[in-house]
Amino acid sequence: MNPVALYNHEPLTSAAKQHQFDPYEMNGGTSLVIKGSDFCVVASDTRQSVGFQINSRYAPKTFKLTDNAVITASGFSADSLALFKKLSQNLEWYKHAHDKVMSTPAIAQMLSNTLYYKRFFPYYSFCLVGGIDEQGRGVAYSYDPMGSYGPEPYKSVGSASTLIQPFLDNQARVGHQNQQIVQQSEISLESAISITKDAFTSASERDIYTGDFLEIFVIKQGGVTVERVDLRKD
Amino acid sequence: MFLTRSEYDRGVNTFSPEGRLFQVEYAIEAIKGIILAVEKRITSPLLVASSIEKIIEIDSHLGCAMSGLTADSRTMIDHARVAAQNHNFTYNEKIKVESVTQAVCDLALRFGESAHGEESIMSRPFGVALLIGGVDEKGPQLFHADPSGTFMQYDAKAIGSGSEGAQTELQEEYHKSLTLVDAETLSLKVLKQVMEEKLNKTNIELASITSEHGFRIYSEDELQAVIDRL
Repeated sequence: MNPVALYNHEPLTSAAKQHQFDPYEMNGGTSLVIKGSDFCVVASDTRQSVGFQINSRYAPKTFKLTDNAVITASGFSADSLALFKKLSQNLEWYKHAHDKVMSTPAIAQMLSNTLYYKRFFPYYSFCLVGGIDEQGRGVAYSYDPMGSYGPEPYKSVGSASTLIQPFLDNQARVGHQNQQIVQQSEISLESAISITKDAFTSASERDIYTGDFLEIFVIKQGGVTVERVDLRKD
Repeated sequence: MFLTRSEYDRGVNTFSPEGRLFQVEYAIEAIKGIILAVEKRITSPLLVASSIEKIIEIDSHLGCAMSGLTADSRTMIDHARVAAQNHNFTYNEKIKVESVTQAVCDLALRFGESAHGEESIMSRPFGVALLIGGVDEKGPQLFHADPSGTFMQYDAKAIGSGSEGAQTELQEEYHKSLTLVDAETLSLKVLKQVMEEKLNKTNIELASITSEHGFRIYSEDELQAVIDRL
């Protein structure tokens, strides 16, 4: 044996380096949903980045699925877009098969199944679905990438969710249990929108992955409206 | 269609497109639900009447009455049940009556050689007609699916050997504001008129589908109560 090797921590023969297939990317961005008694607010920023690079200042991640449902997702943008495309296709097939538009609770279940179907090669998407149900009540659902889902009164996912979620717990929650000033009535559309704007302007101050523009979707009986708001561009 | 003997009568595997229909089955759409009624022909005094099953549950909100080669209905009912469960699994909602009917009718043309990926399941057409009833978001609904794969919606429909007389009677007696109780009595009244045997609690089957209780087959006691009202 070469005595020099004893003093060398690096092996002389280079060991086989293992390359592994990693087809995922984290594109950042933040999404939010707040439901009310007869409406739902779904919002997200439009920045898409990788590391310190910004790929796009306007790459939307919130989309209208039906007149009653909107979906948003942060995580890996390509996966999210592929997922949205698949959902839209399923929605179209459902319409032809059953001669009706899929209800928001039905979309929620279908999304869960769609995600779980790829349990071992998941869509790297953190989804939120917001809208109104068949009775016109506001509904919101959150998902993990494998398809676990549940109803939520309000929820934030994505890069600034750690900043926004506690803010929502404080501002959007009705009947706070451990707080001094308690909001008793159901949240109004106006306050849901202003909470959303405040949440994102504050988040974009601290989170470099959230910024550029904010898109706010409001789902009510009679359709979906979109509002675009400026956020920090740096 | 094909009332006379024709080329369809030849060959052991060839059935007429209509299938051969026996007995009387019919269904009435009432305001709050669906009533399905069938005659069970007791061909021998030794036959255990309760073993004849001609009304079957597809899902808690869907039922089906059959006429013809009832053995053929096994495949179709199985398919309908799978379609109903699949829909519930995928969308967490109850399948529409029209959608299950469509699913069953999709089977009708899957006989003979298999074509483009569709698996062929039968060597001949199905010889059974179905009355599929249920309650969905559109309210109580009734569909008639025939062996050709065509389906149509009805307020009241009779199928089987005595169907002509029964259908005429239904046309005269049916009205839009029929209650479920009215529908029970009407169905048995019509059945009584067209049956050769004397109607009793053992040679008929009756089922209701309502939004409150879903699919339910009447017990002999309940049948007797309806018969007593006639």
